[in-house]
Amino acid sequence: MVNFLVRRIAAMIVMLMITTFVAYNLLNLAPGGPLAELLQQQQNNTNRLDPGAYDRIMQRYEFDIYLMPRYTRWLIGWPNGPINLFGQEMFGGTQVGCLREGRTILKYPDGREVVSDCESPVFLNDLKGRAVSNGILRLDFGTSQGILRGRPVSELLNSRIGLTMLLQGLSSLIALIIAVPLGVITAVRQYSKLDYVTTAIAFLGSSLPTLFWGLMGLMFLTQPLKEAGLPYFPPGTLSSNFAETVPILGTIKPESPLDYLWHVALPVSILAFVSLSGWIRFIRASVLEVLKQDYVRTARAKGLTERLVIVKHAVRNALIPFITLVVTILPGLVSGAIITEQIFSLPGVGNLLVGAIYGADYSVAMAILLISVFLTLIAYILADILYTVADPRIRLR
Amino acid sequence: MALTANIPPKRAEKALKPLARSDSQWSLVMRRFRRHKLAMISLGVLLVILATSLVAKQIAPFARDYLNVDPAAKFLLPFSRDPVSGDMHWLGTNHIGQDLFTRLIYASRISLTTAFLATTIGTFIGVVLGTLAGFFRGFIDSVVQRVIDFFSNLPNLPILLILAGVLSSDPKIIPMPDWLIKLIQNIMLFEQEREARVVAVIIFILSLLGWTGVARLMRAQVLQVREREFVEGARALGANSLSIIFRHVVPNAFPPVIVAYTLGLAGSLTAETGLSFLGIGIQNPIPTWGNMLAFTQSYMWAHPWLPLIPSFPMFLCSVAFNFIGDGLRDALDPRQAKG
Repeated sequence: MVNFLVRRIAAMIVMLMITTFVAYNLLNLAPGGPLAELLQQQQNNTNRLDPGAYDRIMQRYEFDIYLMPRYTRWLIGWPNGPINLFGQEMFGGTQVGCLREGRTILKYPDGREVVSDCESPVFLNDLKGRAVSNGILRLDFGTSQGILRGRPVSELLNSRIGLTMLLQGLSSLIALIIAVPLGVITAVRQYSKLDYVTTAIAFLGSSLPTLFWGLMGLMFLTQPLKEAGLPYFPPGTLSSNFAETVPILGTIKPESPLDYLWHVALPVSILAFVSLSGWIRFIRASVLEVLKQDYVRTARAKGLTERLVIVKHAVRNALIPFITLVVTILPGLVSGAIITEQIFSLPGVGNLLVGAIYGADYSVAMAILLISVFLTLIAYILADILYTVADPRIRLR
Repeated sequence: MALTANIPPKRAEKALKPLARSDSQWSLVMRRFRRHKLAMISLGVLLVILATSLVAKQIAPFARDYLNVDPAAKFLLPFSRDPVSGDMHWLGTNHIGQDLFTRLIYASRISLTTAFLATTIGTFIGVVLGTLAGFFRGFIDSVVQRVIDFFSNLPNLPILLILAGVLSSDPKIIPMPDWLIKLIQNIMLFEQEREARVVAVIIFILSLLGWTGVARLMRAQVLQVREREFVEGARALGANSLSIIFRHVVPNAFPPVIVAYTLGLAGSLTAETGLSFLGIGIQNPIPTWGNMLAFTQSYMWAHPWLPLIPSFPMFLCSVAFNFIGDGLRDALDPRQAKG
């Protein structure tokens, strides 16, 4: 077990490194980026950038540093100046970047002349005193480049993560509470009326995108219900601007706990509906499979009550493969319900990610991506451990 | 010996024919599939949608990007006439007076082709890698396994978003063969090459993330099939690996992949819709069901029928793909069939 964990965690770290490397390079190789808009303005001749401003912006995004050192600076906050060896500064003259490209001849003090493609190179010495994060490995996500320029990314994340956790946690909990019993019952009472209705609804729920259900919910469960004098849902956002009177619920004061709950109710139910439809189908199929097994027949043959057969023998075994699905809740808690948050304009992490990609705020996008990759990897390890708990036949080696 | 020698050749052939026609594997499967009513209905619906999209150019009453900014031409109800030309807008118009029926049939062509191409490419990669890994095992297997692990550990939607955001800003970042661009341009009836490039990038991204499931499935299947007696028999008869793979292993390991393929089609359709909705997928003026739906979000309070127009075919297609997948699963593997 310990051996297994050590190996898995080592593999996880390697995987995490590869992912960060690939994702960082992808984002940074992208044409355009934060400078695209500025350059477009240049072309329009409306806002001419003077060279100083250009240099400053390049330096702010660290675009003057080559990709590799930029990546290591982001990862571990190094190099942040000349390398200090035994109290001596070394390699200060190593070129680590290029501020402006252009063919120039560099004249060295010792008389050498080197033709270079870089008009104003950046040396290791120049990095001294530049603001640099402690590195993402030391849990410093750096500063935001676009959305809230100059503020720590962790601050942005903190402000969004509560809502996302509430959305995802609550909807997963509801989905679990409904899906497990309903999946088992539909399998045990196969071809009953309940089975047909549930399976049909679950089929629709899992074959259509969240986007569809979100828009339908927004369309039919808000304004039309209000006009019909029934309890209705608010159309998106997180709180009302003024007190609203809803039938049955009474008057809801803006920004009260009830108000927040009322606002997340619809998105949570839609998220729960979509995931529980998939889960019901999964559980139903796996319980049906297990009910055909020999050990269930044995349990029946030795005279156990049907209830005991199902609860103790069938369901326990049927839920083992379900672990793989349940652990995916974990990364979802942070990466957010991107589409649902977008439809209901809820300020969660998913919304932040979309904003970060639109606004070319790469440090924010990378932070969210890294956390969700990390949690996905943790979730898979957790699934393996849970497998051994649920099924003693499985041993991790 | 003497007996057969006396029979004329024609009759000998007749005598050799079995009395009852034996059923091939495929006709058995087809018969079982035909019994699945919902799957047959779905297939019919899908064929109708495919047929309309196939003749999109011929039956569309307006040009794809025709627009009319005259306020009188905006948000026309279904079955109303164009104030200028007097032509019928079967499904009404949108916020810039574009004919929704025309947009919808072009969109079904584009959305369905995108889903088909993305799923086909993804399934192809998955089948090839899964077969190699399962059949040869050893070094190839562990490499393929690691790559699958890498791709399936990525959180899907965030990665999809980032990739699409990065790549669609400049579609030329991935070199695409010209014939592929030409093919997409011709299938989707694009007038500009640029539009084909954008769609090609989306197809590339969707297939890049969609192959791991198939590869895993194919590997598991091949691992089982390669141990069966007929493979051993083929090897004993001196068949080389290549012919064993193509004639014995792949055909026998394939059925679950067909089911996964139909379900994958629904998945690609959904993913494309989601991306277009977030404004990072295929964008205006190229119509897709996803971006048509996304555009209606701002106007749906005043014109509640608008979101129903693109969602209806989307709904039909994704339900149809799922039913066909179910039907195929029951037909291909009778052991798992219900009842």
